[in-house]
Amino acid sequence: MAYLTMENITRFYRDNHVLANSNVDFELRRNEIHALVGENGAGKTTLMKILYGLEQPDEGRIFLNGSEVFIRSPLDANRYGIGMVHQHFRLIPDFTAAENIIFGMEPKRRLFFLNRREAEEMVRSISDQFGFDVDPSAVVKNMTVGEKQQVEIMRMLYRNDETLILDEPTSVLTGRQIESLFYTLKKLTRAGKSIILITHKLNEVLSIADRVSVMRQGKVKGTYRRGEVDKKELSQLIFGRDVQFFAGRGVSSGHKFAGKKIFELKNVSIRSGDIKPLLDSICLSVSPGEIVGVTGAAGNGLRELEDVVSGLRDLSGGQVFYHGEDITNFSVHKFREKGFAYVPADRMKRGSSLQASLKQNLIIINHDGFSRFGILNRRRINSFVSKKLRQFSIDGNPDLPLHLLSGGNIQKTVLARELSIETDFIIFSEPTWGLDSAAGEYVYKKIRTHRDKGKGVLLFSSNLDEILGLADTVFVLFHGRIAGRLDNDGSLTKELVGTYMLGLEIDE
Amino acid sequence: MNRREKENIIVSFWGVLLVLGASLLFAAVLIFLLSSEPLPAVKYFFTGPFLSRYFFGNMLDAAVPLIFTGLGISLAFKASLFNLGGEGQIYMGALVTTVVCLALPEFNGLAGGLTALAAGSLAAGLLAALSGYLKVKWNVDSMISSFLLSSAVVYGVNFFITGYFKDPSSSLLSTPFIDSRYFLPHLMNPSTLSTSIFFALGGAVIIYFLLYRTRWGYEMTMCGLNPEFARYGGVNVSSYVTMPFFLSGLMHGLGGGFAVLGTYHMSIKGFTSGMGWGGIAVALIAKNNPLGVIPAALFFAYLNAGSKAAMLHTDVTFEVAAVVEAFVFFFITSEVIFSFIRRKRRSLL
Ligand SMILES: Nc1ncnc2c1ncn2[C@@H]1O[C@H](COP(=O)(O)OP(=O)(O)OP(=O)(O)O)[C@@H](O)[C@H]1O
Ligand SMILES: [Mg+2]
Repeated sequence: MAYLTMENITRFYRDNHVLANSNVDFELRRNEIHALVGENGAGKTTLMKILYGLEQPDEGRIFLNGSEVFIRSPLDANRYGIGMVHQHFRLIPDFTAAENIIFGMEPKRRLFFLNRREAEEMVRSISDQFGFDVDPSAVVKNMTVGEKQQVEIMRMLYRNDETLILDEPTSVLTGRQIESLFYTLKKLTRAGKSIILITHKLNEVLSIADRVSVMRQGKVKGTYRRGEVDKKELSQLIFGRDVQFFAGRGVSSGHKFAGKKIFELKNVSIRSGDIKPLLDSICLSVSPGEIVGVTGAAGNGLRELEDVVSGLRDLSGGQVFYHGEDITNFSVHKFREKGFAYVPADRMKRGSSLQASLKQNLIIINHDGFSRFGILNRRRINSFVSKKLRQFSIDGNPDLPLHLLSGGNIQKTVLARELSIETDFIIFSEPTWGLDSAAGEYVYKKIRTHRDKGKGVLLFSSNLDEILGLADTVFVLFHGRIAGRLDNDGSLTKELVGTYMLGLEIDE
Repeated sequence: MNRREKENIIVSFWGVLLVLGASLLFAAVLIFLLSSEPLPAVKYFFTGPFLSRYFFGNMLDAAVPLIFTGLGISLAFKASLFNLGGEGQIYMGALVTTVVCLALPEFNGLAGGLTALAAGSLAAGLLAALSGYLKVKWNVDSMISSFLLSSAVVYGVNFFITGYFKDPSSSLLSTPFIDSRYFLPHLMNPSTLSTSIFFALGGAVIIYFLLYRTRWGYEMTMCGLNPEFARYGGVNVSSYVTMPFFLSGLMHGLGGGFAVLGTYHMSIKGFTSGMGWGGIAVALIAKNNPLGVIPAALFFAYLNAGSKAAMLHTDVTFEVAAVVEAFVFFFITSEVIFSFIRRKRRSLL
């Protein structure tokens, strides 16, 4: 039985003349997990924002239990039991988990603020009921993405939402975190909730969704029950072709990388007051034609190491070399002068400037090359920008602010920029977060091309399929140390890497 | 520029015009209520500035320092810096310009004038740059430090004008007149309008070019919008704190210097007072667009001239005129602030 129906929804963005949703029909049943898939910019987020009251449709109606409802704001949505976790989290970093969860809907029993202990108690009871694993008194900015996400979900549960919308919840999670998220989602449907799940990972759709709706260019192409379509058909429906994402392990001949090194870390450590260092004696090197993969569970030093190699964070000890030259504690400015390219995991704050235009975002590292005597050559900039937009099929107006782009198109903008520089060393951190399979496939191809041209690639990823599919050498971090250095010679398995990630196995 | 952009500009243009119109209307209503001879008061308020060459020229002349200070504020704003020290900077620029002119009486007019202007704007620029430096060095809040430094400097300048450099033969609290060879040619006698207006217009064009067409302006804008991103992109972020402040102070100093060479021909106690704050209002109306600063400054000058005319011809008192101006200022800034908040909120969502 249809419980929530969106009928004939149309949304046209006047700012950039985009028809984001065009006569969309969508139907959600009670207790189902309904996956919503489609390529970057297909209109998934827009449709869900309409359901959540963040956007108003130009046309169309929404029915709940058969009667029409008007959702003008998230407050209205909440009244109808609809909650949403956004593609990019919106928690307040300085608040605790409990404070974030009750924020905006504090219990009205008291005249003044309720006491902290009481709030934490309420949160703890939700946590126990559904098996979450978050300390209610922990401050959000110190949390891993997985924990933040749990906080976002608990927030909806606290508000008694019946319909839960999750916009790409899995794109930033590690394999284990995804498993536990899915476990929770299953449990929630059994408790009577209905869930809409946006994702780009077709395996997830097949494994967890009861039904799946496919969007393409603002339209819903169809809705299918579990078992009705397989991965290949889904991919056909989404892209109009079969996309070989994650297919094949592009291991490079398994040859040994000896001698020349492009980039090297020697005994790198970071201590920040505590007894336990964030990074402890990291030794690692990247040779020409090598993809070095670095992985680890969240909170084990991956992000810190990323900051070190990109020059954003100073070391407490150890050295960094580039072609044998000591560049320890170099500034990012120097780093860029050396011509390094770097795709950061944090694309929204570090990797892009959301208020700046798409064009301004694309030229941040090479605008020097477009200027003579300090004057920018606009014609050359424009032709560069339109070339990049074409090359990476970025859907957006170069002169409008970046935040108007869809999530995936913002990601592509960062990639397009970093891949445009000629360099022999590139750092990728979580390169496929938020990308649809076609774009992901393209990025993998690019990474392999770099390797095959004899360049060095340092790949940070919490996605083991990605690591095993790309890396020649795999480093696993555990508690800030290298638990293992593994050759990806074809015999390496996810399970083995997993045991290192959990610290069950540590090589000395 | 594509069609969308044009439409956007037109939309925001009408938006601003609407607010300006509404605030003028509001001013009229206010005068109408506060004056015992309301009709003539309102009439003079609106038409006063156009009644004679004298009033009209003076109005244009009053816009000149506002253009400079408005440009200075806009410039700093692009780098996300708020220069609250405009009052002190323009006053300092004026005094130093005067003093250099007095010290170099035998210089020829042009070279001497330019030297004096350069000295005045440099002094003001350095004063402002100090706030930037303190921020980079010790992370001192630049808004507060610029304000405090400027307040102190105002007293310092007062001291020199009324003490050390005071013209003993004058009943005014002022320095002596500078040599007439330094005077900028007048354009609309008997008004005070001088060729300084061309320098102001040229300044706006130069700043516009600097911000939107040069590498430097691009980097500065990027630092203002998201410093973490700018740093990541290889921009030397810390250099875009002191430098914008310096340039902002430089513009203020030029405003003061031109006021001396073009209008007053000496420094009088408190004669630039209000021009610094006016610059903030002008920048807000202009939405920090250097070319927008020109009409915004003209509007502000018109408002001023209108209240002066109403004061001159009717029973409207200084207080009433000040209240009217304050209300209009409030109107304009609140509109701008609202749209700022709207923008912020949208970006959060
Ligand atoms: N606020 C907005 N203003 C203007 N255009 C927008 C806005 N939000 C989205 N769009 C445009 O609407 C289209 C659909 O965007 P939407 O965010 O719904 O895509 P999506 O399917 O969620 O993609 P992704 O997988 O990349 O997140 C895109 O072309 C995007 O540029
Ligand atoms: Mg989206």
